[in-house]
Amino acid sequence: MKRIWFTIVLWGSKFGLFLCRLLGKNGTYIAGAFALKLQKDFITHFTHVDPERTLFITGTNGKSTTNNLIVHALRASGKKVTTNLEGANLITGVATAMIRDSSMLGRVNGDYLIFETDERYLAQIYEQLPAKNLCVTNIQKDQVQRNGEPDFIYKKIAKVVNKDMRIFVNNEEPRALSLEDYAGEVRTYSVERHSKSFEKNGFYDVTMGCPKCNNKIAFNYYNVDNVGEFRCTSCGFHSRIQPDVQVTDVDFENRTFRCDGVSVHMPYDQPFFLYNYALAIAVCKMFGVGAESVSKSFESFRNIAGRLELIPYKTKEIKYIRIKQENPETLTTAFDFISQDKERKIFLIGLEQLEDFQPFYTNTFYAFDCDVESLLHSNIEHCISFSEAVAYDTANRLIYGGFPEDRITVIPSDENDDIFAELDKYDCDNVYLITWLHKYEQMMEDLPKYE
Amino acid sequence: MNKLNITWCWPDILNLHGDRGNVMALVRIAEKMGLEAEVHKVVNFGDEIDLDNTDILLLNPGEFKSCEYIVNAFSRIKEDLDDYIYRGGVILAVGTTGASFGKTIRKLDGTAVTGLGYLDMECRERDSIVGDDLICKMRETGFDLNGSQIQVMDTFLNGDIALGDVEYGYGNCSYEDRREGARTENLIFTNMLGPVLVKNPWLAQELILWAMSSKGVMNLLKPDEGEFELERKSLECVRRYNQTKQNK
Repeated sequence: MKRIWFTIVLWGSKFGLFLCRLLGKNGTYIAGAFALKLQKDFITHFTHVDPERTLFITGTNGKSTTNNLIVHALRASGKKVTTNLEGANLITGVATAMIRDSSMLGRVNGDYLIFETDERYLAQIYEQLPAKNLCVTNIQKDQVQRNGEPDFIYKKIAKVVNKDMRIFVNNEEPRALSLEDYAGEVRTYSVERHSKSFEKNGFYDVTMGCPKCNNKIAFNYYNVDNVGEFRCTSCGFHSRIQPDVQVTDVDFENRTFRCDGVSVHMPYDQPFFLYNYALAIAVCKMFGVGAESVSKSFESFRNIAGRLELIPYKTKEIKYIRIKQENPETLTTAFDFISQDKERKIFLIGLEQLEDFQPFYTNTFYAFDCDVESLLHSNIEHCISFSEAVAYDTANRLIYGGFPEDRITVIPSDENDDIFAELDKYDCDNVYLITWLHKYEQMMEDLPKYE
Repeated sequence: MNKLNITWCWPDILNLHGDRGNVMALVRIAEKMGLEAEVHKVVNFGDEIDLDNTDILLLNPGEFKSCEYIVNAFSRIKEDLDDYIYRGGVILAVGTTGASFGKTIRKLDGTAVTGLGYLDMECRERDSIVGDDLICKMRETGFDLNGSQIQVMDTFLNGDIALGDVEYGYGNCSYEDRREGARTENLIFTNMLGPVLVKNPWLAQELILWAMSSKGVMNLLKPDEGEFELERKSLECVRRYNQTKQNK
């Protein structure tokens, strides 16, 4: 009876997807939401689902890119993959992907099921789709209004990891690696120290508590912020000396590295991508696709979750760097990106109030997790800090970091008229913009009227 | 030059919300007040805390699990801590860390931990998170304080020990309770993040005045009114935003 009901719901959902397409909508979760409403355990009824070939990718940062890389590499080697590439990473998104890529009787077309999964909903998804393989990219501060503290997410992931599971974890991220205690099999991926690795020895530099004993973790160096070779100063927990897969010989100039005996061309050369490459190679290796084949696939890889846009504006070029609000890692990466350009520049920053869901609020404290010192030596002629509610706080973070107060203009407004009028005062054509996607889209909508 | 000794407890472990800004603010304001600020770090929970050389003890918010570790660490030097508090030593405990100074900490798994007991309050871990802005008027001083709060625990006061009265926000345990934080002697617990002393330099100044007067140093320089102009403008923006955000 359940099976018959499943088939009816599936047909209805497929019809819904068809309608979405007719209306020009993507419909990445609606069909799944509809199906799960009618049948709570809907996902469990699909056939041709092999847990050994099912993989979830979760973690704070890097999920989408890694998912895209893995799927791209597997497909390039001829594998059939069912996935949620559109970033719909809740259970409804997973269900929709399976509805889309299955027969009328619910036989999944893909031989491999690769899903990006939201950390908070991992348990819910796992309950219906018991994947044997789980990748945890990292567990870091993010969206505190939803996630509170990293330990909140850690406990949610740890609850899912079990002795029947194989996990792929970042060897240089303490929280992710510490999940080794709960898993049956652990595969670590790593990035060797490279020319953009750095140390932090400033008085105000802080690290994190050890996920095992809650004392201080010390990093010998960082490959990206909060990720690098580490050791607990109390219990001795440390990154493994011989990880299973390691990216070595990173050459940023020629955009190459070595991994698993193969020289690999990197399509994107920001340091955090190296971990995505390492993880993709580790997973593909487990699925029988060698590093050589993965490397070849990287040549045609395009990241759909890109975070840099170049916008011509009058004589200027605005380089927009997308950040995730309440996520210090993406803000730090944005600061680092700007500081690499030593040309004279104008820096527009709008951290903005948080308006994803109620209650809206004005948190900017994640900016104090980021180091701004690199900006001081990057030839910023002037900084324009805008936003209705947090422009002063943002400016204050820069001032605390040593940025000269007289080179910051504060615009306590989100009116594009005000922002572009201020920008027009400067003859410097090299402009960097950091803000969240929604504000950027608003600015771009209005841009033609200022041209 | 008079010296202000700040003991920064477990900076790497109690490090959730950019809270190192609180130390930066204390040092900055102390220097504006003509003091030499010296910061001593306590790195791990087993390390010694030198209360004899402390004027301000700073505990930033950590993960909820850290409360127990803090209680254990201070229990080992409870008598020294008693002396410190009753001779007017300043303690700022931000966010979840404040629970350690209360009477009881109740966890979601049903277990409870006995706190250090200085603040007559009970803290209960929440199963969901409340994130919002928080604006309050600090009792006694009449200061406006503002920040954001990420509430992973609720705090129930048993006596009239609130630090402030809520103008906007959730405060200790509900939108109806209207009380924020707690205080006894110069021990302050606040739910405000921001970092709280960066956003409210007048509070940093007040803590420094308390700390220095408790060791007999009076008549300190006070920064000019204009020094905190940027923070006052920020407060006005935040206040206006919270008055109008329902219309968005």
